[in-house]
Order: sequence, then structure tokens, then C-alpha cells
Amino acid sequence: MKIISLILLFLIQSNLFGETYFCKPELEKLPILQGGRVKPLYVHAMETIKSLTGQSRVDDHSAVEAYCLLSLNGMGLPSQIKLDARIDHVDLIKFLDIEKGQHSIPYEQLLSKEDLIKSEMRMAQGMQDKSESYKKSISKLYGNLLLYKEIKNGENWLFANRIGNKIDWAPLTAFLTEEKVIAQKKLTPEDPFLPVLLKSKIDFDEISGKKYELELFYAKAGLASWSLVLTLLSLATLVLFKNFNITLIFASLSALTQLILVALRVTISGRAPITNMYETVLFSGFGSLLLALILGHLKKEKLFVYMGLGYNVCTLMMLNFANGMLTATISPLVPVLRDNFWLSTHVTTVILSYGALALSWVLANTVLIKRKIGKITKQEELNFADIIYTTLKWGTTMLAAGIILGGVWADYSWGRFWGWDPKETWSLIVLCVYITILHGRYTTWIKTDRFITVTAGAFLSVMMAWFGVNYILATGLHSYGFSEGGAIFLGTFFIVQIILIFITSTKFTKHIES
Amino acid sequence: MKKLDKIDWGKIERFIGSLKFAVIVISLFTLGMIVGTFLESYYGTDFANRTIYKTIPFILIQFGMLLSIVYAAVLRLPPKRRLYGFYTIHSGLIIIGIGSLITYVAGIDGQITLAPNEPNRQVILTKDILKITYPTEGKQITNNLPFTAFPVSLNDKYENIAIKDYIPFAEGKFVWSEPINRYPENAQVHSSKYHFKNAFAEQDFYLTLHPEAGNDFQSSFSMGPLSITYYPEKIAHCFNTDNSSKIIIWNTQTAECYTPEEKSISVKMTSSKNRFIIVPNNNSFLTFFPDYSPYPMDLKLQSDENSIIRVFSKKLFEDKPSLFLFGNKAAFYSKDEHKWKLVDLFLKGKPAILPWMNAEISLTEHQERLVPYNLPISTIPIQKNGSLIKGDLRAIKLEIMEREYWVTNYSPLSLLIQGKKVIFEVTKESLTLPFELALTEFKMDKDPGTNNPSSYESFIKLFSDGITTSHHVFMNNPMKKSGYTFYQASYSQDAQGQYNSTLAVNVDQGRPLKYLGSLMLVFGAIWHYNLNKKNKKKSGVMP
Repeated sequence: MKIISLILLFLIQSNLFGETYFCKPELEKLPILQGGRVKPLYVHAMETIKSLTGQSRVDDHSAVEAYCLLSLNGMGLPSQIKLDARIDHVDLIKFLDIEKGQHSIPYEQLLSKEDLIKSEMRMAQGMQDKSESYKKSISKLYGNLLLYKEIKNGENWLFANRIGNKIDWAPLTAFLTEEKVIAQKKLTPEDPFLPVLLKSKIDFDEISGKKYELELFYAKAGLASWSLVLTLLSLATLVLFKNFNITLIFASLSALTQLILVALRVTISGRAPITNMYETVLFSGFGSLLLALILGHLKKEKLFVYMGLGYNVCTLMMLNFANGMLTATISPLVPVLRDNFWLSTHVTTVILSYGALALSWVLANTVLIKRKIGKITKQEELNFADIIYTTLKWGTTMLAAGIILGGVWADYSWGRFWGWDPKETWSLIVLCVYITILHGRYTTWIKTDRFITVTAGAFLSVMMAWFGVNYILATGLHSYGFSEGGAIFLGTFFIVQIILIFITSTKFTKHIES
Repeated sequence: MKKLDKIDWGKIERFIGSLKFAVIVISLFTLGMIVGTFLESYYGTDFANRTIYKTIPFILIQFGMLLSIVYAAVLRLPPKRRLYGFYTIHSGLIIIGIGSLITYVAGIDGQITLAPNEPNRQVILTKDILKITYPTEGKQITNNLPFTAFPVSLNDKYENIAIKDYIPFAEGKFVWSEPINRYPENAQVHSSKYHFKNAFAEQDFYLTLHPEAGNDFQSSFSMGPLSITYYPEKIAHCFNTDNSSKIIIWNTQTAECYTPEEKSISVKMTSSKNRFIIVPNNNSFLTFFPDYSPYPMDLKLQSDENSIIRVFSKKLFEDKPSLFLFGNKAAFYSKDEHKWKLVDLFLKGKPAILPWMNAEISLTEHQERLVPYNLPISTIPIQKNGSLIKGDLRAIKLEIMEREYWVTNYSPLSLLIQGKKVIFEVTKESLTLPFELALTEFKMDKDPGTNNPSSYESFIKLFSDGITTSHHVFMNNPMKKSGYTFYQASYSQDAQGQYNSTLAVNVDQGRPLKYLGSLMLVFGAIWHYNLNKKNKKKSGVMP
């Protein structure tokens, strides 16, 4: 260890290396085992640096460079790289003595306070008067600090180390041995380090294949952003151009891009693309756009395409900008979900049904606004109600099928069809809400004007079943669940939707006499 | 009869079969579920079951839905082609309803925990019971406890035992209670409450020597690296003697103690330099290796843990922080002064300074003969991260010979009533399987490079009528045997670090009906909503 640092220093003095030593972009393709999966270093470095600093770059360095430079500290190579932790919680800022107006503190400074943070975290867990968000913030900070230390000690960066026909994973400090470097120096005297590191990739590829490289393409392609651009363009052409075909072309391109995005995730993770919030949002947006295109084609009705695009914009916005709530990280599944057949039938059906119900929500709100500003005829309103009714029928049928499939899965793997689990119960609540609307539509209680208002409001139950169970019910009401990203999003959604319904229904029908 | 004739049954049927009634019952059902999920999140699954999901009103609402479904279909007979999908949906729902009713009445839902290589046939069910056992007569009586969320009076009687109150969710409130048995004047059965404080933490704790104290109260306690042990007051002075062997010999029955030096017992060495002493006791001799065990060893080097004579080597407690408490005295080793110190603790007096991290301790309560006890008080449970943090105590008040006793799911009660031994337990109903199961291996795989489990698997041997079969149970792969189905549910680790596997056990006779009904419901919905060619006008008026 000491010797190798001496060699390194010697090399550095001979000006063969710049400030970044051998931290070159080639490294991003290296396989690494972290979080239970093999992935390219680019993906891991990006995730870790984002988790540590909240940003994807450190000064002028890319995430991979920053990760590599920080890890080299473990080899005794000092680097100028400085990572700052982002602190948002007011009480945590106070506890860490950060100057007013500042929201970050260097990790090096935190390292000197490690014991203090640890004991504060332990004390806070036992105290009733500390808020849940403070407890979470401080344990996240402590977790990040340990991660920083692990990287800095060169222990986080694992290399595929070939032993016979097997792959063993060794940390940088154990992998980059003096013998390897000296042996390599005879072959490539100008740079004996990088080839040694890259050798781990060659070894791994020979034994386990190159499939993990797909994730590098996936991470760099930015398909979610491209889809958003295409969908926005499609919506714009719908408003600006008379020719509907232009809209259709952009909408289809966007759907295709999302299909590739979904397919890539399926290939990388080897399972149905619906196992976390990010994936369900992605899939419901994609599924409902597809459903809207098909329904629009079958019923020869352009409005479906508008609804599909409208909802698609919402989901893509969330995927691109709500990183605090939806994480794109692909991680291994909990044991109970490891059944691809049930996962792909049950969850897909439920998420697709949410997508279909979301279509009704888009149109219902549009009608509400149109009605308020008085740009709607009675005939148009009836026509809209008819289209909403169609999406509700599709959504409800799929939801019923999805719930039953879930029941069968639960029966098959836990021995019970129904257990009043909050997720099950809320999906049944959604079904009941929409069934009540469908039944009520036949009675005099829910006439066309009310039907549209009620449909707009009914989507709140979907949001509750989809997000609320995870973000509000799961954390428990008493734990100030509303202080976190997901709950804030949901609360805002509820308030905006309720205000919209309230404003638009103050003066009920305002029709243009035709 | 006359009154019944006056009622217009047709009108009632039409109302029950009407869409408005359907909307009312579905709305009520939905409302109940919404409240239920919030209660569940706040107070736990059991509480939500006892206040909403499994209560009579909620079941009545579901029954109302079933009636509505039946009458809605009946009123729309004779069959119309347009409504075929509708009939299928409603028949499907009725069949699901019947299937669920069968499961509710005849189904079995329980759990069985299997320890490695220990055959078991007891399935724990969900119903709460009070079990009274007379071990000498081999007699057992079980009383079913009501499925309630709030305290009730049972007012039941069995022989001379009156079963008074039942609290389904309780928490313990500390009290000093009178002991049940009598003890000699000099018996060392005292208990104390201490207050401990250092730079990082502050804590109150009880320690007791009383034999009647339940599992909540112990004679030892540990706080991080510090271990605290509670001993009889009478042996405190031995910790103060500065004997060179640092050994104390102690009679646990009389609570007398002495040092080997006082009785001129010599401390000898074995050939491998291990200290041992031989202590005379009632015409016999006990051999101790004080640096290994406080118990005497026999010739086969087996230690006798029932021995009333014990030997204590202070040497063992000089390295790690150890505190010995004797009611109003405390002993510890001071590394700075290289000696054992015995300090006085005055009741509600000044705290004693301890030699670790500015720690100090004070005596806040002391009782010579009363028993520390957590009296069950009714409470509303609180759930956090999936488990109850408050209210996890089910308690029953008994009255026997004009004395009150509490028995809880954590502390069974054992009494001598008119010379007969009786055991009371608050537990779950159990069921004996017609065959036996044993766990041969429990396997847990982890995600590579992490500690997160990726699968649990149980390898099970099943013994039935002299035939042994092997089975492999894992997530999504249950085992079936004579109507019972076993599912991998969870696992636990015992004190030795061995894995026990918990299987969910289930008998569900309503299953085929529920599946059939579900199929009909889904196909009916597709038929009704998506395949029906309705010749409706574009006006949007629904048929």
C-alpha cells in the first residue's frame, strides 16, 4: 500500500498525469456490484454523487471522475475534490452550526463531527418531541457520511476480480496491487494503471457477458426527456395546426420512445416494469397514451388523443422533474414480488386502469374549465360526457380485473384472497367510487353536469390509492408524513383539484345558446 | 300478521333492487373502508379489524350490498338480451359473496412456527381465548374472548374463579403491589428504582429480587457497554473487603457472604495455572473455578446451576464497566484508584458519581417487600413502522377467593387454589393438525453484495400415518396436504441464532366459488361495458 503510493507519487511528479490521475472517462463502462446488482460504474457514480451532493457534477468533474478521485484517497493519493452535503432541514442546519442562508457543508467538516451526529441521531430517535422529518434527515445525513467515508477509504469501488472461472468482487485498495502495476508497466510504461483497472471489465465480460452495458446506454440516452419534448410538440401541433396527422406522428413517436424506455428497463431488470413509483408513473402514462391512440382510432374521435397527451405530459413532467419523489434507480425486488407472471398481469392491469381513469380526469377538468369560461354548448357537454363514460367503463373493468388478479395472487402466495391491507382496500375504494358513479349515472342524482364534476373529483381516490397509501398511510398520520416530497405533492394535488372543482361549480351551467 | 299484510313488500323489493339503494350501500361501504384504512395506519391492523372491518355493522353493509345485487337482478327478469352482461356480473358477485360466507363460517386461517428438527402439529389461530389448565388433573378449560376493541365486563364464573374484565388493548402502568405469598422477615426480596444519567442519556429503571415480579422486571440491566446487576443488600459489605484473592463466596439462600481469606479457605492453582477453590458445604465439598463460572463443577467438569453456594470473582469485572447495586449501596471498580469502591445511595438523596463518562446514579424508590408490577390500563393502540408500539397487551382481571389477579398475554398466572395448581393464560386458539411437520432446513438467499434477503425457503418433512414425505416451501410455492395449504409467511431467529420458519396455514372451502364468481364478474363487465353494441343516440343519454 505504502509502496504503491510511492510509485504513484513518482509517476505524478514525472508529469504523466494531470490533476485527475487515471480517472478517465473510459472507466464509466467498468462493471460494479452495488445495491445487489451489477451495473456500469457511470450509473453507480451518478447515483452516489447525486445522493451525496444532490447534484450530478462536482465543480468541473463528472460524477465518474469525482467518484474515482475520492476513492483514490484510499490509495494514499490526495485530491482537490471537495464534496458538499446539502442540508435543508432547518433544525439540522441549526444543529450543524451552518451559517444563516447557507444550505451546504463540506463532508470533510462533517467527518470531524461524526460522533456528534451519531449520538444526536440516536438521541433524536428516542425523543417524542423531535419531528419525524428531522429524524429522517439526520439519519440520511449519517448514512451519507458513512457512504462518503467508505468511498474515501477506497472500499466502495468494487472491481470484478477473476479467480479461475469465477468473479469475486474486490475493493480498489485490494484490487490495484503493486505486482499488477509493475507487470503492466513493462507493457505500457506511459500509463500502467488504467489498463489494470480496465482488465476487470475484460475479465467480467468474458465470464458474465456485456449485458450490463445496456444500462449505460439507458442512463445516457435521456429517453424520458425526449418523450416529454415529443409529447409537448404533439400537444402544440394539436392546437396550432389544422392537420391532425402531424399531431399523430409526434404522439406516435413519443409513445415509441416511451416503449423503448420501458423495454430497456425490462431488459435491464429482467422483470415487469412496474415495481416502484417511477415505473408505475412511467407505465401508466405510456399505457394511457397507447390506449388513447387505440380508442381514438376505433371511435374516430380526436379527443381521446388529446386526453392521452394531456395525461402523458403530467407523467413525463413527474419523471423528469420530481426526482425527490420518484427515483429512477433500478434495485432488486423484495422476495414476495418475485413472480413475473403475477407481477406482469396484476400490477399492469391495475396501473393501466389508473391510466384509463386518468384520461377521464383530464377531459373532466377540461370540461370544467371550458364550462366556467363559457365556451361550451349543451350538445358538446353531452358529447364529452359520453367520451368520459367510455374511459370510465374501460378503467373500471380493468380495475375490477386487476383487483381480482391481485386477490388470486395473494391467495396463491399467502393463502388469503382478501386481507383488508391498505393497498387492497384503497383499490377497492377506487372501484366502489367509480361503480357508484356508473350506477348513479342511471339515476337522477348524477346528471350530465354533475357527472363531469364528480368524475374530476373521483380521481382523488386513484391518487390516494396510488400515492397516498405509500406516502401518507404507510408513514402513519402521526409522523408528520406531510413534510415529505411525496406527501407534499399529493397534498398540493388534492388542494388544487378541490379548488378547481369549487371555482368551476360556483355557477353551474353557463352555455352558449346555440 | 295483519301488520305484515299492510307492508307493501313489492315496494321494498323495488327499493332494495333500485339503483339508489345500490348507490347508498356502496357509498356506505366505501366510507367504512376509508375510515378503516386511516384507523389501520394510526392504530394498527387489529384495531381496524375490531372497530370496522370485522364488526357487525360493516358485515351488514356488505350483506346489504349482496341483497341489492340479488334484487337488482331479480327485478330485471325475465332475461333481456341487452342485460346478459349485467346478469353475469351480478351472478358473479353473488357467487363471490356465497364463497366468502363459506370461508367466513368454515375456513381456517392460522400460523405454525417450526423450529429446526422439532416436530410440531399446533396451528395458532386468530381467536383470543383465556385458557385455564389444571395440570394435576390434566383438565383444560378455554373461554372465548369477545372480538372487541374496547374493555368489556365478562362476568363469567368457573368454580371459584370469577372472570371479571377483559381489556383487548392495554398498557402497563407501574404500581407497587402486595405480594401473594408470605416471606420470612429476613428474606431478601427487595426492589429499587434508580435514575441513571450521563452526557448522552438519562434513564429510569427498576431492578428487583422479588420472586413474584413478572418478566417486565429483572435483576440485571444493560445500557450500552455498561452492565448493571442487582444483588441482596446483605452481601454488599463483601464487595468492600480488600481481600487479595478478590473472591467472594455467597450463599443465595441465607444471603450470607464471606471471603476465602476470612474462613482460611485456600485458593489453589491447577497445573495449567487456573485458580480453583474447594468450599465445604453440609458435609460435602464443592469445587469452583471462579474465573470461569460462579457455579460449582463436578468431576466431569459440568457446572451445577442449582447450587445455593456461588463464588464470585471481582477480577472478572474490572475491565469492562460493571455496576453492582444492592438497594441503597453501589459497588464498582475504579481504574484510577485501582480498587473496588462501595458507596452509599440515600433514598432521594444526592447521586453517586460513577467512574465512566461523567455518569451518576441515584436511588429514587426502594421497597423491601412490595412487588413491582405493571397494572394493565386500557388504551388506544399506536402503530409505527408496521408494529404496535403501544397497547400490545391483552389483559383479563380475575377474582379468586376475594383477591384480584391480572393475567395477560405476556405474563401467565400460576396459582395454588385450595391445594390445586391452576395455570391461567391469555393466548390464541390453537388447532392440532392430523399430521406432523418438522423443519429440516431454512435457507435464506441474499441479493449479491448486500444483506437484503432475496428469498426464504423451508425444507420440511411431513409425518403422516407412518409415511414421511419431504417438501420444499417458498414464496409463491405453497405445500398442500389434506385440504390444508401451507405458505412461507415469515421467519425468526432464536437465542442460539437458529432460524425458525413461520408458515401460514389455511383451509378455504369457498375458494372454487370465489374463483368462479371472479371470472364471471370480469367477463360480465367486459360483456356489459365494452362489447354491448348499444344503439344509443349521440346525445349521451345513457340507456
